[in-house]
Amino acid sequence: MSHAAEKTDLTPSRFVGGEILARYSRMALAVAVVALGLAVWLGWKDPAYFARQYLMNFVFVLSLALGGLLFCLIQQLTRSGWSAVVRRPAEALAANLQWIWILFLPFVGIWLWGRAHDGHGLSLASIWPWADLASMGEHDPAEAHIIAAKSGYLNDRFFFIRAAIYFIVWGSLARVFFRGSVAQDTASPEECVRITARLSRTAAAGIILFGLTTTFAAFDWIMSLSPAWFSTMFGVYFFAATCTGGYSLITLIVLKLRHLGINRAVVSEEHLQDLGKMIFAFGVVFWAYIAFSQYMLIWYGNIPEETTWFLARQVGGWGTVSIALLFGHFIIPFVFLISRWIKRWTFTLAVGCVWMLAFHWIDMYWLIMPVIPADVGSYATYNEFASAYADTASRIGNPVNFLLLLGLMGLLASSTMRRLSTKSVVCVHDPRINESLSFQNI
Amino acid sequence: MTTLAPDRKPSQAAGTVAHSQRRTWGIMAEFETPAAIFEAAGKVRDSGYRYWDCHVPFPVHNLDKQMGVRRTILPVIVFFAGLTGATLGFGLQAFTNSTDQSIWAFVWVTGYPFLISGKPLMSFPAFVPVIFELTVLLSALTAAFGMLALNGLPRLNHPLLASQRFRRSTDDRFFIVIEARDPKFLKSKTEAFLKTLGAHAVEVVED
Repeated sequence: MSHAAEKTDLTPSRFVGGEILARYSRMALAVAVVALGLAVWLGWKDPAYFARQYLMNFVFVLSLALGGLLFCLIQQLTRSGWSAVVRRPAEALAANLQWIWILFLPFVGIWLWGRAHDGHGLSLASIWPWADLASMGEHDPAEAHIIAAKSGYLNDRFFFIRAAIYFIVWGSLARVFFRGSVAQDTASPEECVRITARLSRTAAAGIILFGLTTTFAAFDWIMSLSPAWFSTMFGVYFFAATCTGGYSLITLIVLKLRHLGINRAVVSEEHLQDLGKMIFAFGVVFWAYIAFSQYMLIWYGNIPEETTWFLARQVGGWGTVSIALLFGHFIIPFVFLISRWIKRWTFTLAVGCVWMLAFHWIDMYWLIMPVIPADVGSYATYNEFASAYADTASRIGNPVNFLLLLGLMGLLASSTMRRLSTKSVVCVHDPRINESLSFQNI
Repeated sequence: MTTLAPDRKPSQAAGTVAHSQRRTWGIMAEFETPAAIFEAAGKVRDSGYRYWDCHVPFPVHNLDKQMGVRRTILPVIVFFAGLTGATLGFGLQAFTNSTDQSIWAFVWVTGYPFLISGKPLMSFPAFVPVIFELTVLLSALTAAFGMLALNGLPRLNHPLLASQRFRRSTDDRFFIVIEARDPKFLKSKTEAFLKTLGAHAVEVVED
């Protein structure tokens, strides 16, 4: 009943994560340090491959934080009431965008000091081939000619200037939304209303900036790994992927906090169902819609310069990964998450979140790790190409992949939990908190 | 059941007054607050009546749960409508573009295998947009019309609309109505029962 809302004790201190989260945070940090150390020790023998593995896991972790920011932006922009009790974990997740540029610094280091000769060593061009047109021209003049025409955009200096802009935009937005929301915990009711109104206005501009920066970041860091290839849908694809990862992780954090009993008094199965709907709608269906739209246009157009990207992803071990994505990222979770009770029962929802996070990681792996063979244009038919590359391995089981994942996820988790350990995990003084508390699904 | 007989044919036996052609349709109890109807709804639920309903001017949270209303089967119907749409969408394209069979669908229709941009005749990726659209179309139409059908709509009139008192159900009053077709309905007993629920007023609704 609506009266229940007024009875709930909404003292911020009641919802502070406390010592348990601080302990988890320290544990995650320890795991992260050990895992990163092991990863460097095991992976450094093949620096170019290691750099790509690192990029892949960096993009994965970044997409989770971006998903958190997207959630804050959309909830504030639509002035939604239901989400007030589950928004703080998203804000804490997004707040990581303030420091995540540190994880990008290795690429700056590679740019400034990296050297590579005859496939040994590591330079920026070992990751992004457009960074060294001269060496590209030596073994593939035709492709180098195409890339040279793009060099007004794809050049190392502008690349890092753009990266700086992305990090400044994301960091500032995350800071504004996290700080604003935390300030409400101690502010007067009038001040809280003013803060929410301000954040709502900021979100309108923020969502545009978010769309532009994630699109171009996806172009820069992922799409330009195969610089001759292009897809105008690529930015949306990455955007959909941030929804998958971000919403699943937010839900998982909310479920864990509920398991620990920290937010149990205010987060009901109604809120869980809505979080599940967000994962279902954006993380599963929207992703599949975008992924298929991109695939179908390229498949139907059948232009070699476009199809090579998919060709590289359907030969050898990559074919298995592609099919795994079709079933694991769309068909199975679609059938699983469609039912109402699945989203309302803690255990099944948690299974769905972990599943989606795993396949989001595989999706990022599928996006970043394959390399289009340089001689792809020399095969007359698809079958000839496929049999020549039939034993290409996806190397997804490589332990360094998982060590890097553990390391970077550990950093993200540690930082997120440290924030939640000293702050209320619920936006208790949000002006819409009562609406959120009494929220019911129809 | 025999005890119902006198109530089922009220006042017809007397047959003299102006209301002689009218039957009791149900009994309506009026409440002044959401809390009052919420509490009363729980008691009606526990009393075993099946054909009864609440009429409120705005959504009262959890009232449906308090009434013990079962969940709708509409999602299941929509799911199968979606499956039908997907099957239709696939079948339509597979038949018309990939076979040269003739079938009778009110008129004789023949498939026309036509090679488009060098793709195989049975090209699943090319079929997906139509499959998707038909799935959405049938699901959406089924959801909308299924909802109306399950609610017994469209309906041009309702016995309750004749009551002056009931007009306030769109403003500031809350009503519980127990219908006469309920097996447990007994005019005198039901009326007395509704009065014990703390109703502001109780009124017999005629058909």
